[in-house]
Amino acid sequence: MKKTLTTCPYCGTGCMYYLVSDENNKITGIEPTANHPVSKNWVCVKGWNSFHFVNHPDRLKVPQIRKNGKMEQATWNEALDHVIARLREIRDKYGNDSIMFFSSAKTTNEENYLMMKLARAVFKTNNVDHCARLCHASTVVGLATTFGSGAMTNSISCVDEADLIFVTGSNTTEQHPLIGTRILNAVQKGAKLIVADNRKIRLARHAVLHLKHKNGTDVALANAMMNVIIGEGLEDKEFVANRTENYENLKKTVEKYTPEYAAEITGLKPEEIIEAARMFAKAKKAMIIYSMGITQHSHGVDNVKSMANLVMLTGNLGKPGTGVNPLRGQNNVQGACDMGALPNVYSGYQKVTEENIRARFEKAWGVENLPSNVGYTVTTAINAAAEGKLKAIYIMGENPMMSDPDQNHVREALEKLEFLVVQDIFPTPTAKFAHVVLPASSYAEKDGTFTSTERRVQRVRKAIDPPGQSRSDWEILCDVAERMGYKQMKYKNPGEIMDEIASVTPIYGGISFDRIDQLGLQWPCPDKNHPGTPVLHVGKFTRGLGLFCAVEYKPSMELPDKEYPFCLSTGRCYFHFHTGTMTRRSRILDREERFPFVEINTSDAKNLGIRNREYIMVATRRGEVKAMARVTDGIVPGVIFMTFHFEEGPANLLTINALDPEAKIPEYKVCAAKVRKIS
Amino acid sequence: MKSLTITEIEQFLKSVEPEFDLRVPIRLHDGTRSLGGLNEGPLSLMGGKIPLKPTSVFFPQTERVFTRESDGEIKMEKPGEKPILVVGYTAEDADCLEFIDKFFSENFRDDLYFQKRDGSVIMVVSGKCGPDGGFLKIAGGKCDLELICDGERFIAQAYTEKGRQLEKKMKASKEVGDIDSLKKMSDELPDDDLKTIQKASELILAEKVPDAFWVEIGDRCIACTSCNYACPTCTCFEVYDRVHDGTTVRERMWDSCQLDGFMREASGHNPMGTEDIRTRRRIHHKLAADVTRWGHLTCYLCGRCDDACPTNIGIKSVSRMIVERYSQANEK
Amino acid sequence: MAVETKTEKDKDSASLYRPVFCRIVRISDLTPTEKLFRIEMPEGRDLNQKPGQFVQVSILGLGEAPISVSSSPTRRGYFELGVRNAGALTNALHQLKVGDEVGIRGPFGTFFDVEKFKGKDMLLISGGCGLAPMRSLIQYCEDRRGEFGKTFVIYGAKAPADVLYKDELEIWQGSDIFETHVTVDNIPQGTCYDGHVGLITTLIPPLEIEPEKSIAVVVGPPVMYRFVIMELKKKGIREEQIVVSLERYMKCGVGKCGHCTIEHLYCCLDGPVFWFNEISNLRGAI
Repeated sequence: MKKTLTTCPYCGTGCMYYLVSDENNKITGIEPTANHPVSKNWVCVKGWNSFHFVNHPDRLKVPQIRKNGKMEQATWNEALDHVIARLREIRDKYGNDSIMFFSSAKTTNEENYLMMKLARAVFKTNNVDHCARLCHASTVVGLATTFGSGAMTNSISCVDEADLIFVTGSNTTEQHPLIGTRILNAVQKGAKLIVADNRKIRLARHAVLHLKHKNGTDVALANAMMNVIIGEGLEDKEFVANRTENYENLKKTVEKYTPEYAAEITGLKPEEIIEAARMFAKAKKAMIIYSMGITQHSHGVDNVKSMANLVMLTGNLGKPGTGVNPLRGQNNVQGACDMGALPNVYSGYQKVTEENIRARFEKAWGVENLPSNVGYTVTTAINAAAEGKLKAIYIMGENPMMSDPDQNHVREALEKLEFLVVQDIFPTPTAKFAHVVLPASSYAEKDGTFTSTERRVQRVRKAIDPPGQSRSDWEILCDVAERMGYKQMKYKNPGEIMDEIASVTPIYGGISFDRIDQLGLQWPCPDKNHPGTPVLHVGKFTRGLGLFCAVEYKPSMELPDKEYPFCLSTGRCYFHFHTGTMTRRSRILDREERFPFVEINTSDAKNLGIRNREYIMVATRRGEVKAMARVTDGIVPGVIFMTFHFEEGPANLLTINALDPEAKIPEYKVCAAKVRKIS
Repeated sequence: MKSLTITEIEQFLKSVEPEFDLRVPIRLHDGTRSLGGLNEGPLSLMGGKIPLKPTSVFFPQTERVFTRESDGEIKMEKPGEKPILVVGYTAEDADCLEFIDKFFSENFRDDLYFQKRDGSVIMVVSGKCGPDGGFLKIAGGKCDLELICDGERFIAQAYTEKGRQLEKKMKASKEVGDIDSLKKMSDELPDDDLKTIQKASELILAEKVPDAFWVEIGDRCIACTSCNYACPTCTCFEVYDRVHDGTTVRERMWDSCQLDGFMREASGHNPMGTEDIRTRRRIHHKLAADVTRWGHLTCYLCGRCDDACPTNIGIKSVSRMIVERYSQANEK
Repeated sequence: MAVETKTEKDKDSASLYRPVFCRIVRISDLTPTEKLFRIEMPEGRDLNQKPGQFVQVSILGLGEAPISVSSSPTRRGYFELGVRNAGALTNALHQLKVGDEVGIRGPFGTFFDVEKFKGKDMLLISGGCGLAPMRSLIQYCEDRRGEFGKTFVIYGAKAPADVLYKDELEIWQGSDIFETHVTVDNIPQGTCYDGHVGLITTLIPPLEIEPEKSIAVVVGPPVMYRFVIMELKKKGIREEQIVVSLERYMKCGVGKCGHCTIEHLYCCLDGPVFWFNEISNLRGAI
């Protein structure tokens, strides 16, 4: 028996626990740690089962190359030589920017760093991105603009100290369970909870106020709250005066968003908006917690800016128990962003467009002519591939066939590619289109770090050896670089990679494996003696003054109409994670949710003659999906909800490929749909 | 009567390491206390109960039932080569083990469990070595040997033949100890928690706890399953097969009655299909159903579910709420 | 309580959880979703079950599920399982062919206590799949005709296509041992059917029974019990004269896995066959 301290591979809460493994190289269970500041003694159901996919028979164990349309087993030499030969050919024929690299929020910081280094230093393209594009791209853009730093401003423990918690677009007890439980506990101890979400999520049962505003009307709600706050003089005048700029512009913009005006848009009662505004403004310490319900819109950045405006207006920043707290959905989506697996920045959000920064990286990496143009995003890359502009994609641990909007569009794009590499631990639907499949190792089989939603950089540790011939992503990437003739991507272990990261990334400057051996550190951590930063923007914003960004309400791209009368919203459920690659291969989790389902309001179901657990068809302008009806009063009439976990009922066949103009995040939360009985 | 220092206990454990598969209190990487071999971390006798489900030593989270190579014979899982020696159970843990021994042997004998349990040796640690200097109840039996801490040393008390054999192997620098005063301290430990769960049990059995109560508690349950996975007397399991390169492996793993799928049938019919019913079951099972079946409570107040529950609805907390709210009504 | 039979060969590795491989010797289609499997134990052994007991059926690689035995122990040399294709395992079972093997553990659980039924008038009431376990008792009554009084076979299915054991129902209907009544809830358009239509509860009031000397055995889907038992009580049958067989999700079949509890009872150990008065006040029983 061996017990290995590591970080959970599911949501961004960043719980640590021990993996228990036996002498046969098999993980037999997990054991909670009693000493972790976030997880304490606790683990959620996904955590308890987070070991179970590791030993699943479906694990990829041997490299494969497509030959005459069929996947055949190959040696690592053959597979990697083929990869670099094809990538070279394509680069030489179509140029550097004809190749795209999908990094992964599931892999470690070290691996994300190497992926962006491979793209930039070796292939000389900024075409590198990852699935943050699909979840919090709007946060990164929105908060970077307003505060100067696109991350959760406060720490998870701040929930315990808040007097008022405003949760919007986050089903926290299901998606970040151990943050959700802190909210429940805070409520038990007397904190007030406002939930703005039109599903009756568990938190709503504990809220003093449950605002069931229409999907996609968050800007109107926030503007109206600010209208009330300013109108009643409840704003934090001192904070506004000393810490922010552009207030007058905001004041002017929100003027027309009277509670009555916003009530029309949001479907709320004016009194509800007024009450929410007063409660929020009058609380001593108020915090906003939000997630995909805010970000996944064609106006996601506007939504995020609205949250920032509301918090600045009330002075709820730079102290414990307050802040704008976007909960990052994946174990390392924060880290993947931090590492610069984004088309516009190197690690630490250093812009590729700035010459002095490029020069620093050129020096550090021993290369010349790093590209200065901003690359494709995950979403625009798929569009470019469909248009024939992008020729090859190297995917590490992502599954766009399941995760990206409009599956038929993604299929068309992947089919058009001249070359697709998929590096993963399981044969995903995306891997079906691959020309080369490279077997990678899971989180339990490698060393590295993940950065949690509260910017806590924590260790991931190898508990067992990877199965078959599979190798860690970092080793594969280094091998590819070496085969490309690049000499400066050789490391003995991930600790060395982190040392390099620290040397080129100011916010990670003080991070090293030694320092985070037992407890993680929260960035910014600029030097070896810095204790880390639990709360951002204390006394001063990262950008200096906080910038009020006044925004107008914009309707979602595709609203329900006569033909498609329902609003389809998508998301996750408690038991599954994202594209289901891991959770659907975990016995207990898969048992809990075995079928693709669609939540529909009781009255809507009654009108359509739909019974609970009956299979129905859900259709949008993109296509049609069969799913089991879950008839419930937990969802408002006119809205239906599906999860994107199920290959056999893919919600993303239905979603619309409408992007936020700045963040390029898809509008997963709103599209027009219809449902019908299957005769 | 042998009175050993921690160093002497460690020496004793090293001396029996060749004969036993040791599961002794150790500190893991970040200081979390656990049960494991001496090579897995420094010995940690002080601090009271180990957070993990102590009975996981004999009933682990996952275990293999059998394997079968394509068309070959079914090969049942074989017992380990060495018997297991557990050190560090509390008196409450020993009570729990006694109960699940009974549970796994009654009617049908669960051979997977007894493969590990048979031949094992249990040593309880008690006395003045609880968390924050607290006193741990003395078991006075229900184990093979007890190490009772007097604040400095551990006095060995053997209760079985196996225990006496091991006691002989202990080399102690002192042969005296005041066990009687320690026993007196143990007897004087407050039993408020016991009274509370007994009272809660009576109220539940007397149908004094309304359904609305379970709805309220269920609303606070996120179904993390930690209560079940930490509880020493929770024994529910799921069984599943996996086929690795033609070899079928049947395994079982801990299951939780707090999950919707726990009792859901293929048709979708679910006798425990709502949160309140599942929450009620969690408490009712230990405090009422088992009282009817086995004649006693099957919560021994180890406190693990209360520690493991992220929303403070472990069995002690819920029992306190039940007693506070419904015992008055009972008296009327 | 019967335990798995052991042969010399597997004596060393005898285990509660070890299935015995048994061969399927006949498969018949009962309805589009139900099949009847006739299975033989190795070396011509008998299963030694009692009517109403169940076995744990394994398909290696897929898992195990409890399935009640549909045949009476009075029919030696084989046993039969009537199986609805409802989940992953039963679906796989439906794909098997004659000659294929399945793993069997059991028989497990309580049974219809035929000793106590001796001399009584029997009301054998089943709905839907409930006829599968009930058939073991009907066959038993058929084979031990002198032991019981007047015996009613009452069966209800959703629609004519769902009626199980059609051939046997016909035989029972023609037999002087039984008074047999069959009904369907409704007739889909375009179906030829000239039998009784209506819920199973409509069959009970007209029955000419002597309540004092009757035993009612009820097996069916969860929704059926409450209403059938209500009708029985109207006829003067008391709870202690009613026997039910319940179905639960089970993993082990031997009272360990915990999935089948009904308050303090385990459906696999203390059931699946219960005297109704023992469970009528238990929450969640029916």
